[in-house]
Amino acid sequence: MPPLTIGVLALQGGVGEHTALLRRAATHLPSPSTPGDFSFLEVRTPSELAQCDALIIPGGESTTMAIVARRLGLLDPLRQFVKTDGKPVWGTCAGLVMLAAEASATKQGGQELVGGLDVRVQRNRYGTQMQSFVAELALPFLGEGERPFRGVFIRAPVVEEVMGEGRAEVMGVYGEDIVAVKQGNVFGTSFHPELTDDVRIHVWWLGQVVEAARHGGLPVVVGGEGA
Amino acid sequence: MAANLNGANPATGAAPGDTFTLKAGLAQMLKGGVIMDVTTAAEARIAEEAGACAVMALERIPSDIRAMGGVARMSNPDMIQAIQAAVTIPVMAKARIGHVVECQILEALGVDYVDESEVLTPADDQFHVAKDAFTVPFVCGCRNLGEALRRIKEGAAMIRTKGEAGTGDVVEAVKHIRTVTSEIARAKAALAEGGPLAIAAMAREMGADAALLQRTAELGRLPVVNFAAGGVATPADAALMMHLGCDGVFVGSGIFKDAETPEHAAKRARAIVKAVANYKDSKALIEASIEHGEAMKGISNAGLKEGERMAGRGW
Repeated sequence: MPPLTIGVLALQGGVGEHTALLRRAATHLPSPSTPGDFSFLEVRTPSELAQCDALIIPGGESTTMAIVARRLGLLDPLRQFVKTDGKPVWGTCAGLVMLAAEASATKQGGQELVGGLDVRVQRNRYGTQMQSFVAELALPFLGEGERPFRGVFIRAPVVEEVMGEGRAEVMGVYGEDIVAVKQGNVFGTSFHPELTDDVRIHVWWLGQVVEAARHGGLPVVVGGEGA
Repeated sequence: MAANLNGANPATGAAPGDTFTLKAGLAQMLKGGVIMDVTTAAEARIAEEAGACAVMALERIPSDIRAMGGVARMSNPDMIQAIQAAVTIPVMAKARIGHVVECQILEALGVDYVDESEVLTPADDQFHVAKDAFTVPFVCGCRNLGEALRRIKEGAAMIRTKGEAGTGDVVEAVKHIRTVTSEIARAKAALAEGGPLAIAAMAREMGADAALLQRTAELGRLPVVNFAAGGVATPADAALMMHLGCDGVFVGSGIFKDAETPEHAAKRARAIVKAVANYKDSKALIEASIEHGEAMKGISNAGLKEGERMAGRGW
């Protein structure tokens, strides 16, 4: 298999943190994968996006990312990447907001989204920074008997509704709040694995990316239209 | 990685390191962004629409503080609340150096970050605020590495250059980031050549905590996010500070000072956001500079008298 190019959308936010964990995760994948199977790319332009086999949309300010993406002509290429090409994408925090079909508690006038997950997210679900927290999460997709994952929630969004026919699968909850969700190749988390040393979700996601590439892309489930 | 700097907060009962992870983590999420000074809800909305990653709520922009003189204090809570109600991006606010109670008030207001700032008149000539005791995170200014590490030791989760606020002259901000960068290089060399003993000697010399200095040397950068501030007036200024290694940019007076109309201010704000996001792209910088239009008039740093400098406040 030729090397897979994994992009991190680098318009604003926690870009380097993801790249660092991806590099570490690549060394943890079971064989036959090797670190040389991946190259990592910070994505700021449509041509950089076009080189990618998979993409992470990091945490940051989703309003800023949407505005900058619009001005750089990246919004439509991102929608194509996620929804038409069906390439694997993972959004954390602001990235989850970007990947939602709808978002509430947005700025006046709303904000543009990429879509891909048939869900509505609520921004800043828990309030301001004073309500930010760390919580232990049981994440079944990491495997049976795995220890909990320390979820870092910073002004975090949650999935307030799985819309449509419920094609989005709930992958993790905090209390009653949905904090991890997956639909086809599109994955989103409310929290920031990139702010921990815990490489497990990055390893799992890279495994998903490899699987998708082996099968020439999993069956594409087209998500919401975005705002 | 900044997130892994452990600093427990005894006040919150959170597991060791978690509180600091949250504080420093929010700053990590602001990287690559522009934080804009705003004095009204309407200005905050202009900033948000332009793509600011946060706003700094204050009563007067630094250039007006400079012009009016007198004692500059924490903003009226009324005005901060109006700004909090107007936008969904993080809202920061300034407290006077050493003014614990202003910080308590800002924390109770639920601001997302407190800037213990030399732009306001210092309240304590001995001590900065013990920032570890707060749940709200703090950003502080610095002119050099020793000052940055002293603030981090006190609990600051984000650092910015002091620059010289309200001048529109970027020279001091450049001087401060260059100083920090060269001192980090010196610490790296000291660690490589002389190990912990050389770090201890350098820490004594600069008045910094040795463990923090060693960590900085190992990382090759400050252990928290470091923004530019103080005199950034144009898209080119903002891009310059990114080029010099800053993680993002505060723009104080540069958006709204001498703006002819709200639309002009909005254009300036959009232009600076664009310049920071594309600081390596000359074509984008041309577009941003055109969109920005006329900058604030500004005052040359070289013409300031010693008593007119804000950067000398704090230690």
